Parts: sequence; structure tokens; C-alpha cells
Amino acid sequence: MIVAKDLRKRYDDIQAVDGVSFEVYPGEVFGMLGPNGAGKTTTVEMLEGMRDPDSGVALINGIDVTREPMRVKKMIGVQLQANAFFDRLTLSELLKLFGTLYGHSVSPQDLLDRVDLGDRGKSQFKTLSGGQKQRFSIAAALVNAPVLIFLDEPSTGLDPQARRNMWELIKGLQADGTTVMLTTHYMEEAEELCDRVAIVDSGRIVALDTPLALVDGLLETGFRNQRPTREATLEDVFISITGRALRDE
Amino acid sequence: MRVALSLTVASLKMYFRNRQAIFFSLFIPFLIMVIFGLLDFDRFSGADVGIVDQAHNEASAAITLQLTDRTDELVNVELGSLGDETERLTDGEIDAMFVIPAGFDEPGGPVTISATTDERSPQRAALAVALLGQILGDLERQAASTREITDSGGADGPTIFVSTSTLEGDDRSYTAFLVPGIVAMSIMQLGIFGVVFALVQYRQQGVLRRLKAAPVNPAQFLFAQISTRLSISVFQTLILLLSGMVLFDLAVGDGDVVSWLLVIALAVFGGILFVTMGLAISGVARTEEVAAPVTNLVSMPMMFLSGVFFPLDALPGAVTVVTQFLPLTFLADAIRAVVTDGAGITDIWSELAGLAAWSAVVCAAATRLFRWE
Repeated sequence: MIVAKDLRKRYDDIQAVDGVSFEVYPGEVFGMLGPNGAGKTTTVEMLEGMRDPDSGVALINGIDVTREPMRVKKMIGVQLQANAFFDRLTLSELLKLFGTLYGHSVSPQDLLDRVDLGDRGKSQFKTLSGGQKQRFSIAAALVNAPVLIFLDEPSTGLDPQARRNMWELIKGLQADGTTVMLTTHYMEEAEELCDRVAIVDSGRIVALDTPLALVDGLLETGFRNQRPTREATLEDVFISITGRALRDE
Repeated sequence: MRVALSLTVASLKMYFRNRQAIFFSLFIPFLIMVIFGLLDFDRFSGADVGIVDQAHNEASAAITLQLTDRTDELVNVELGSLGDETERLTDGEIDAMFVIPAGFDEPGGPVTISATTDERSPQRAALAVALLGQILGDLERQAASTREITDSGGADGPTIFVSTSTLEGDDRSYTAFLVPGIVAMSIMQLGIFGVVFALVQYRQQGVLRRLKAAPVNPAQFLFAQISTRLSISVFQTLILLLSGMVLFDLAVGDGDVVSWLLVIALAVFGGILFVTMGLAISGVARTEEVAAPVTNLVSMPMMFLSGVFFPLDALPGAVTVVTQFLPLTFLADAIRAVVTDGAGITDIWSELAGLAAWSAVVCAAATRLFRWE
């Protein structure tokens, strides 16, 4: 689905992406993990056709992104890190407009239902809560029924309930057969969702495998967690007390 | 095309849902128009009078002296030939013309001074005529008293009269000057301010980035921006002209369809120029904090130096050398020519050429300066 070969991108004096190569297979959820500034967003933007790489090749479904960015953009769904939509248009109007931009006629109601915003069709984007905004931007990324969807830090800034809701949404996308590539700096999110993860640092991929294999690999080196392992985390406590129900409606 | 069209429809929707924007872009020019239209600049200066002395006798010299030699500076007098003064009156340089006929006040000669006034400046013209009447009255009383002494018979001497007529001419009141200027100014404001702030905001919010992620050609987006502003600009031009007609008796050209179409075409033509200028500025000014002073820097000098509120000849000659080439000067002059003089397309070709030249320059700047991010 995605083939990245030796992608490089330099901004002035920073080598943001320094030779990144990987593949994403159809139907999988592929995660890119890394600290802020590791080059995750730049890598994703080069795959989305929003930024030309200095060198290297990016292929989406066999199509060269640099050569035919419009063709690639038509096929993929994109959720950007900072979501922004026009003011003074309702969610339904925005989805219709985006549908036209992609050459698809869409049913705004179906898309909104899919992201649990079925009753907010007449609202404006700026009146939504953080979690609702993220969900809406996923709905906007689905207007062209994409085979591949890019999610850049989809759960950053969300409370635990909204994040779990986002996870369910992403699992639903995968169940529908959509390939997902996401970036995150939450490890539990990567563990929960991703079939495979690439860990990037300073513009390079430093590890790439399934979450389980990566953990096993670390254990084989003799690493042991200093804190005693427990069956539950503080987040589990938080969720069991406050419930799973969304708070932003 | 469908993409550009739906982006246009969407941004028109956004515009008309933004009550504040409508207020500022539609109501403010209207307000300025009404305020300046109500201000009566005629009242503030003395009357300019041209005297055509065909008599060259004692009586005509006395009248001229009475008008010239005043300490109250209510009138400024110039002497000239009938042809010259008629032309000056037609051009609006003088408010009234007094013709003292040959043989005036001489035995058997004519006794009537004809005063022609300019209906564009009724107050000043009326002032001049009133002064003339007063002077003639004084002269007559003097003559009468002299006659009484020399000729005790006290026979009725020839009385002298003023016959007044107003100049038959085009509608050239201040409001007829002002309204087309305001129309031009609001086309500029809408183009520059509307586009700069919308785009700077879209860019800061990241809306432009989201559009870049979609298969949208930049040209489609820009087309939508321009066509939206142009529709609003035409709409606003019509509103301002219609309110000028209602409030100030303005006539658009000869009231024919051609004049209206020409004004609409100028609104579109000027709109393209100033929207493109806005796109160029939005490339330079990356944040709203910078955008506000930069847009003012560009639009303010034009607002006051392009003959919107006052004729350009009110400025020192050296300044007009530059200001006559400002884009807003071309637009204001062209719209004014069509609205006030009923000019046709051939009469305004030099203004159109000026607008076209500016559009080319600004378009080149915009393609170089405009940025998505």
C-alpha cells in the first residue's frame, strides 16, 4: 500500500527526515512512534503529497506521489495534526464541500453517524469539543471512501474517554478494510491499535516490528521494568471510576 | 470547474453569514457617503465670480470696484471675455458670471445686468447675486439722490435690474462627484481588506493546509476567492449607486442600460485588480498583526489621494503627478466619467489602460508572493 524508499527532507539547518524506508501492507494499522520533532509529520506529509521530498521515492498503491500528487490525493484520506475548517459552514455543508473537492457526492449524515456526530450536522466546527473536532476531521477524511487514511496524532489532547472512543473508531476503519497509517507519541495507543510500529528518532527509523516483537526483543537483552508489574494501570482505575461514556457531547 | 464553483458558493455563504463583514463592507461606505454628502462644502468658501465688462464706463467700473474692493472676502472677482468666463462657469471654476452689457446705464442704453449662476453651487452663486443686487441698489440710491439735487423734478430715472439664469448643464453637484468615488473606494476596500484578512486567517488556522491535502488546484481556490469578491463587489456597487439615486438625486449616466453595464464591468475590472492586490499582500503579511498595518499602508494613501472625496486638483501639482497614476485614481475617474458624464467605453480607454497595466503588475507580484502556508 505504501512504499517509502530513502526519503529525505531538510529545512534550512535541520535534517528533518534522514533516509526513511518502510512499507505498509494493505489492511494493516501502521504506527509511527517518536518524540516531538523526530520527523513523523514531515514523513507523513511527503507520503500525502503535501511536501516534496529532497530525495527518495514515495509510492502509494504503486503511484509515485511526487509525480502524480493529485492522483494520490484523490485516493487517500488525510487528517492533519492541526485541524481547521472554514468558519460559518455547518458540518454537513463542510462534508458536502469536501466531497465535491474530491469529486464524490457524499451523504453527510452517514459520515457523521460513522463518527458519532449524527446529531451535530447543523453545528459549526468551532463549537465542537476537542474529541468531536478530531472525529469530524476523520469524517472529512472519509468523504472519498479512501483505501488508505493518514491520521497525524489523532488522540493528542483528548481525555481518556475520548481517546478510547477514537480507538474504537480507528479499529472500525480497519474492520472496514481501510489501511491506516497513524503517528502518535502514546505508547499504549500504539500497543492497542497498531499491527506494526516504526520508532523514529532524529529523522531515522531506529526500530520497526510488531509491538509484541519489539517488547520481546527488549526483554531478550535482559531489560526488566524496575517497577513491579501490575494487572491494572492508573488509567484503568480512572476509566473504571469515571466510566467509558464520552463527556464532550 | 465544479470544484471552483462549489468553493465559490461556499465562500459566498460564509460571507453572507458573517454579519459583521457585511456591516463593515456594505454599511461603512454607505455611511461615509451619507456623511460627506450631507456636509456642504459649498458653504465654506467665498463665491468665485467672473465679470464680463462690455460697457467699460463709469457705472461698470463702480460695480466692479464694489465687488472687488471688499474686506469681507465674500467674493473673488475676475474679469474676462464672455467666451472665457462662460467656459470657466461650465468647468465649475466660477460660481456666477455677470455680464455688464455695452452702454450700460448710459442714456438709452441697456439697464439689465445678466447673471448666470452654476446650479452645482447654489449657495455661493446666490450669495454673489445677492451682493450684486445690493450694490446695484446702493448705486441707484446714490444716483437718485444726485438726480434729486440737480433735477428737482425728481423724475423716475432708469432703474437697473439683474436678470438671473442658471447654467443648463450636467449634474455636477458634490454628491455626483462623491458617490462614484465612494463606489470605487469600496471596491478597493472589499478587494484588499476582504481577501487579505480571509486568507491570513485561513492560513493561520491551517484551513489552507487542509485544502492543500485535498486534490484542489491552487488556481481553483483562487478563482473561487476572486469570483466571490467580485459578486459581492458588484452587489455593493449597485447598492451604493441606488442609495445615491434615492438620497442625492444621482443619475447614473443618461439612465440607460449601457451606463449601468459599464459601471458593473468597471466594478468587476477594478475588483480583479484589488483582489489580486490583496492576494499579493496576504503573501507578504503572514499574520493578522502585520496584515492590518500593511493593508492600511496600501489603501490609506489611495483613499485620500485618488480623488475619492475631493478633486485631485485640490492637491499641490507636484503630488498630482504621482497620484494621477494610482490604481484607485483610474478606477474612480472611470466610474465617475460613466456615472456623472454618461461616458461610453471609448471615453474611458485611458483609465481602462491604466487599470490593465496595474492589473498586470499586481498579478505578477501576487503569483510571486502568494503562499499556501
